[in-house]
Amino acid sequence: MPRTPGAEGAPPRIPRRTALLGGAGVLGAAVLLPGCAASGPQAAPALPEAAATGATADGGVLRMARPPASQAETLDPASSLSAYEYLGALYSRLVRMDAEGQTVPDLATGWESDDAGLVWTFRLRDGVRFHDGRGFTSADAAYTLRRIVDPDLASPQGTVLGPLVDPGRVHTPEPGVLVVELTTPNFEFPALLTNYHCYVVPDGDGDTIGATGIGTGPFRLDSFSPGGRGRIVAHDDHWEGRPALDAIEMFSMTDIQARTNALLAGQVDLISQTNLDFATARVVEASERATIARSVNAQWYVLPMLTTAEPFTDARVRRAMKLAYDPQHVIDVALQGTGVPGNDNPVPPDTPYWTDYALERDPDRARALLAEAGHEGLSLELYTSAYDPVFTPMALAYRDSAAEAGIDITVRNTSADSYYTQIWMQKPLMATYWYTGRPADQLLNQVFRSGSSYNETAWSDGAFDDLLDAARATADEDRRRTLYQDAQRMVVDEGGAMTPMFADRLVGLSRDVLNYHESGFEFDYLNIGLRP
Amino acid sequence: MIVYISRRLLSAVVTVLLASVIVFAAVQLLPGDVATQVLGQDATPDAVAALREQMGLNRPAVLRFLDWITGAVRGDFGVSLVSGEPVSATLWLHLRNTMLIAVATIAVAVTSSIVLGVVAGLYRDRWPDTVVSTLTLIGMSVPEFVVATLLVLALSITVPVLPAVVLDEASAPVADLLPAVVLPTIALSVVMTAYIVRMTRTSVIDVMESEFVTTARLKGLGTGRVVVRHALPSALLPTLNVIAMNVAWLVGGVAVVENVFNYPGVGRMLLEAVHNRDLPVLQAIAVVSAAVYVLCNLAADLGAMALNPRLRTGERSAR
Repeated sequence: MPRTPGAEGAPPRIPRRTALLGGAGVLGAAVLLPGCAASGPQAAPALPEAAATGATADGGVLRMARPPASQAETLDPASSLSAYEYLGALYSRLVRMDAEGQTVPDLATGWESDDAGLVWTFRLRDGVRFHDGRGFTSADAAYTLRRIVDPDLASPQGTVLGPLVDPGRVHTPEPGVLVVELTTPNFEFPALLTNYHCYVVPDGDGDTIGATGIGTGPFRLDSFSPGGRGRIVAHDDHWEGRPALDAIEMFSMTDIQARTNALLAGQVDLISQTNLDFATARVVEASERATIARSVNAQWYVLPMLTTAEPFTDARVRRAMKLAYDPQHVIDVALQGTGVPGNDNPVPPDTPYWTDYALERDPDRARALLAEAGHEGLSLELYTSAYDPVFTPMALAYRDSAAEAGIDITVRNTSADSYYTQIWMQKPLMATYWYTGRPADQLLNQVFRSGSSYNETAWSDGAFDDLLDAARATADEDRRRTLYQDAQRMVVDEGGAMTPMFADRLVGLSRDVLNYHESGFEFDYLNIGLRP
Repeated sequence: MIVYISRRLLSAVVTVLLASVIVFAAVQLLPGDVATQVLGQDATPDAVAALREQMGLNRPAVLRFLDWITGAVRGDFGVSLVSGEPVSATLWLHLRNTMLIAVATIAVAVTSSIVLGVVAGLYRDRWPDTVVSTLTLIGMSVPEFVVATLLVLALSITVPVLPAVVLDEASAPVADLLPAVVLPTIALSVVMTAYIVRMTRTSVIDVMESEFVTTARLKGLGTGRVVVRHALPSALLPTLNVIAMNVAWLVGGVAVVENVFNYPGVGRMLLEAVHNRDLPVLQAIAVVSAAVYVLCNLAADLGAMALNPRLRTGERSAR
């Protein structure tokens, strides 16, 4: 069964990640942390890394504060307006991604392709039932996949899977077997199904799924109001066993301060999808009721240069911008050490296809490149907003660092409210971020491929696109890794995205919460519980 | 009198109408529309097009406004672009919740500020005045969200007697919302009281120095009777307008405090609607706020008439 690469091919790991996965507790991880924070300012005490673990109480209700998407949100996993926190609890996918970025079984127990990477066969788990009692079969898996690529639904994952999957060539030879004939060879196809829009819904339920939330996940829906509160309860017949909790109550709170106050006052137990700023995180950590856990490398921060706008049309200027700054300085200032350098490569460190290739910082070379390109004493505007607490410190740290190469940057603060409609992909230079959790193939194709709707630098290079196509069509594991690593080198050398760092998300949670674990888009709903 | 009131009512209607036009135009000027705002980073051209089609945003803005206004005249505020729910039903629920805070705040703020203002005015430049004046100056200078945060720290986190945020939906029964009303009420009362106290104090001082108060004293009336029967009605006249302005400010301006407490009122609804560019909701809130504003001012003017003999008999003496 050709699953994703084994440990023998994986790149060396940094001690911090090993410590975390090796089951070391809070203290162990915190002691090993200085590996990445040693050169930073040591004024503030380190925030705890992992949540407390242990045997949980039998049952209990977890109360979660979440930022509401809007009142248009829906439980339909394929929709761009899906209510994220509910999805992982209500549904399962064919495959999921583990903490190391490997594709591992969920509803599919195994998968293999033909020699060309065109025809994929998935064997499905037996005896799985939806919350309403219907048995899960390949018909549900096929329906789910056809729905995602339906142009009328405009699913975000449709832009990724659409070019690969023809709805007419998704077959169900047996209730336990799904066969997908791709339109172009792709040996990374299973990894693309780990996305959180790919949760399996029952055959024919497309019109009602947004309100019913019927899936095969560890919790079933009790109530849900869009942009409001909701409740999910343990599904006793879940195939992995019953979850530790009896129920989870969800509360929508627009204001971050309101979410934090609710946690500090003991009205909620966990704040989801919220990266607390450092001042708030330290207040939470210092309180008796609540503490901080980190979702490691949860987001990568970017300063995208629009390659269609002056002066970034010139590759020498882009390279100079990358050579000019010191990522460690940006991490120390903007993340207070709670992250690792990105080296202008958005593929997360330690994931299967990652390369450690990096440009050596060289302000003099940057200066020379700018002079060569006729941009001596380059003066630029860098846009930022309060959308995320890290944007502005990152912009200021970059400005100070790049000044050593004679680049004069003015940081402009704009409205958070319309930041992603007016600034992102509009202004030549700005600050933004992405959540990690995308497999390398999806990431590189979605954010860097010519013409992709998420290509925020508008970078277009035929050679890069060809590399990705070649990688997808390459059966040999090692050869494929080399090609993806070549593609990353191109992103670092020529692309428009400066990626100073990967940052941990600072998650506020009650000291009573045990076994909180979240990485990328995976949240462990099965084991999270409360202190007995 | 009737002519006066109907003239005022007519100008009120014009004001409300103008408010709705201005709000509509202002939202058109804001960057982005409901589709791009709701989708955020997922606003790919395909997704935006699909959502605009679904929300009926492809029609010209003027036509959409005309549709809205013909409905609004008949009392139908349309449906929210984001949730698809009728605006009227949602708005009334949120308005009811805001009224809970507003009524409680007005009761607390007006009572305490008149008492404190009268005390400060009567004991001018002595220690009660100094204490009241200092406290009100602090109350005026500290923004309400800071007061709100301090209250949460004191009464929800350090001594947890009151909820820090509201977990209930807008449709929760009033009884469930009552504990949550206390902190927003205190936060708003502090700010509101400060303004009214200043006004009351000044007019009490003015009135106490006037000749008719001296006359009343010379008649041999006690201080209590002089203050309650003679000085207070006159002193309240200018205060009434300040109270009216503050009440109008309450309905439109509780947005910040409601958000800090996650309170399901009009202020939170307004902020979400602005963020999502949800025009029908914004329009309805604008109309209701404008109406409240206009009505408060009208009530204040009528109240002033009732208290002031010269205004009350104005038509006769104008001959």
